[in-house]
Amino acid sequence: MIETPRVLLIDDNPADVALITEASARGKYRSQFHHVVDGESAIAYLRSLGQDTESVRPDLVILDLNLPKVEGEKVLAQFKADPGCRQIPVVVFSSSQSSQEIARCYELGANCYVRKAGDLAGFVAAVRSIEEFWFGSASLPDRIDQQD
Amino acid sequence: MRTGVRIRFGWAAHLIRLNLVGDFVIPDTAAQSKPMRHIPAVEQSAAAGDPLAGEIPAPASTARPLLRLPSPSDWLSTNRHCPCEPRKMAEEELARKVEELARSNRELEQFAFVASHDLQEPLRMVAAYTQLLAEKYRGKLDANADLYIAYASEGALRMQTLIQDLLAFSRVARADTPLREVDSNLALDAALQNLKHFIEQAGALIQRQPLPRVFAERSLLAQVFQNLIGNAIKFRREQPPTVSVQATHFGKDWLFSVRDNGIGIEPEHSETVFAIFQRLHTRAEYPGNGIGLAICKRIVERFHGRIWLESRPGEGSTFQFTLPAAGGETGGAAQ
Repeated sequence: MIETPRVLLIDDNPADVALITEASARGKYRSQFHHVVDGESAIAYLRSLGQDTESVRPDLVILDLNLPKVEGEKVLAQFKADPGCRQIPVVVFSSSQSSQEIARCYELGANCYVRKAGDLAGFVAAVRSIEEFWFGSASLPDRIDQQD
Repeated sequence: MRTGVRIRFGWAAHLIRLNLVGDFVIPDTAAQSKPMRHIPAVEQSAAAGDPLAGEIPAPASTARPLLRLPSPSDWLSTNRHCPCEPRKMAEEELARKVEELARSNRELEQFAFVASHDLQEPLRMVAAYTQLLAEKYRGKLDANADLYIAYASEGALRMQTLIQDLLAFSRVARADTPLREVDSNLALDAALQNLKHFIEQAGALIQRQPLPRVFAERSLLAQVFQNLIGNAIKFRREQPPTVSVQATHFGKDWLFSVRDNGIGIEPEHSETVFAIFQRLHTRAEYPGNGIGLAICKRIVERFHGRIWLESRPGEGSTFQFTLPAAGGETGGAAQ
């Protein structure tokens, strides 16, 4: 289990962001969320990793698909094409149930796809299971700042 | 004052509907109140395939003709388009209207899909946040507030299921999987597998006979069976439900029937039950949005079949549908 996992949350809907942090607060992981609202800022943030001491390399990325400016799939593709970023797991967290969209996310290298449930209980359960799996069960690559 | 005359016969009436000829009027002095059904002059030109022209003779009491059909030269002289070949024009017009209708249907389909898809996001917010309100503030406001929040929350949840159903309905029309030869036994297997718990829970008895191969799409056909059998069990009486599924020859097609011993349906509802969101019972009596049969109808029609219902209240229902036999297979017993 990681201490205070760092999560880069890419979602333009403040109501969803509030729900995600609310759900996380009900769990045992004290996730720290860095939130960006669109694909452009997500990519800028990822590019600044390692160059800018302010930006912290996330342990996990939670990505929504419906984003303004640069859509989620494109962010995912760029992220997974970048040698410095591609080892960070990306959870696509979106409301789409389209099997084509889901398949495309996996093709682009998403580490998993979780659907945003329509009801509160389902939504909270989904967020907590993401944390439970990635911060509890899974072994993540070492943080760069700890490798040195 | 002028009085309109309704002309009802053959394609002359069709031309009038399509606005290819002008209004037919008679002077009110003629005092002709009944619609004219037979106008010999027009019938003759129609029978001969000639351009429409002629006169309807006035009754002996008046000197003026009751109705005069314009001749082609009249059209030309008044710059109206001359239907020199009226039948051909009517056909072209009809083809154009059919195409227009098909396009408008496609657009409507697209609209239903996009609207229901995009409605889901804001609705998800309403549902989640009314539930969050209920969770965090129940008992902290007053009894009315708790009730209001519960109503808002239930409303949002119901709308979510409606939208899900609308999307499922619209997906049938959007599915572009080609029709091919399908063993309908396998489709029934899949349906029964999906209904397994429901069947066990209701203690239902399913009687099935070997079914034929048909020209269809397996998962959609499975959905037809699932919706029909699911309904048969859901709308049961006190006694344990029995559902029988079989198929018999029906001309070049196969006729499937799903018969139950449930509550039955009044004959006057035998058409309306297939309409989208049509329900015959309150949600408290039987849950559901009234989408299942609408989806069945849409799927069967996509397979170029028909679906109908034979039922008497208290005696159970039999849903029947036709499907084209696979590979021109018209004879032989069901395999």
